[in-house]
Amino acid sequence: MGSLKEMKEQYENIVIPEELAVRVQQEITKSRNKQVEKESHRYWFSKAVRSLGTAAAAVGIVFTLALNTMPAFAMEAAQLPVIGGLARVLTFRSYETEKDDIAVSVEIPSIEMIENDTGMQVDAINQEILDRCNQYAEEAIAWAEDYRTAFLETGGTLEEWAAHNIKIKVDYEIKQQDDAYLSFVVRGYENWSNANNESRYYNLDLHTGKEVTLKDLLGDDYEALANESIRQQIAEREQAGETFFAEAAGGFKGISDNTKFYINSNHNPVIVFDKYEIANGAAGEIEFEIGG
Amino acid sequence: MKKMLYEQLVAYILDHQDRFYRLAYSYTKNQEDALDAVQNAVCKALEAYENIRNADAIKTWFYRILINECLRVIKRRKQDAVSADMDAEDAVYYEKAYDQENVDDELEKLEPDVQEIIKLRFFEEMSLKEIAAITGYNLNTVKTKLYRGLKLLKENMEEAALWVV
Repeated sequence: MGSLKEMKEQYENIVIPEELAVRVQQEITKSRNKQVEKESHRYWFSKAVRSLGTAAAAVGIVFTLALNTMPAFAMEAAQLPVIGGLARVLTFRSYETEKDDIAVSVEIPSIEMIENDTGMQVDAINQEILDRCNQYAEEAIAWAEDYRTAFLETGGTLEEWAAHNIKIKVDYEIKQQDDAYLSFVVRGYENWSNANNESRYYNLDLHTGKEVTLKDLLGDDYEALANESIRQQIAEREQAGETFFAEAAGGFKGISDNTKFYINSNHNPVIVFDKYEIANGAAGEIEFEIGG
Repeated sequence: MKKMLYEQLVAYILDHQDRFYRLAYSYTKNQEDALDAVQNAVCKALEAYENIRNADAIKTWFYRILINECLRVIKRRKQDAVSADMDAEDAVYYEKAYDQENVDDELEKLEPDVQEIIKLRFFEEMSLKEIAAITGYNLNTVKTKLYRGLKLLKENMEEAALWVV
């Protein structure tokens, strides 16, 4: 009937975009840089974390629901200078699970209004944070399970698997919390792969209740201003001995609408680049304060 | 020794990237998503290369990662489409993409895992044993699904031909 042949021809005729080779090469370069780095220091999660014994089938679930009234939270909040603040960020829910030697720890933040009459709507944003965290954890677990299955089926033993000490983590960090702004980052990471690390920065103007943009902070010229400042800072830091990727090799090309930033105590935006985004992994996340 | 395995993996990826792309495209039906899937797969493979048991396993191991990535990309796009309520223009675009060719269409009608087996067997020219390693089915299941799929494909195509006449 010949149609499988036809299908195959069609398949073989799928055009290969030139970008493919570029993107594959990008990953290889990134990975090679990392190989070099890995030889000098090991991963951040050491064996110390591996505590729950070796029984492979053991399923331990610790579930803690930390709502606003939890004493631990109260202590934490008391340390923060929020007196007079309109809103704050706190842990809405945290839990830890361990199954198939995949350890998961999740800490989901939410925004709590201290004064309710500001007219600020935080429900939608809290929901988004919750969904994002749950989705990340779900996907990360599914991927780690796939990895486990593949590992075991290609001849790996359960003990060897356990020694991988896979950790999945979702947490958050408050960058700035005062009368004017609420700035925090929610992160998801896996200790065995950088491919899925994610971070999302939230910057809220407490007077308007809206997410702050770079334009709000820097004015209409924000793009030129930020680019100029970053280039200058890169030049200075290179003078001081740091290395960045050259622009042609995937280095800094200018900010975009997706550029991440938070707000610091000077109320300046601090632009953040992910690990490997514009420099070697050894440099970690790279930050540039703009203005001030 | 690990170092050698790493180099073998890099060489394997460089030599076969076109094949990876075609397979990814057959899942995602669009260039950007196919590129993403291949790139993610390469990234993950290079991160996790220490887990390949030996050089012989590179191929099936890598394809497994690649297919997982394709499925993730598709799933994510579906979610995005739902949450963005998929504006009218996009809807038209995707339907067209599916419409483009009849044979492709026939393949699309089969169960996803059967499609996968047919693609790997006939397009990627893999052995049934390799397919078993990639899909995680045992050899007999792969055979059954493959033959059932081919039978269905034949019937559907004949039926489609009748409609055209």
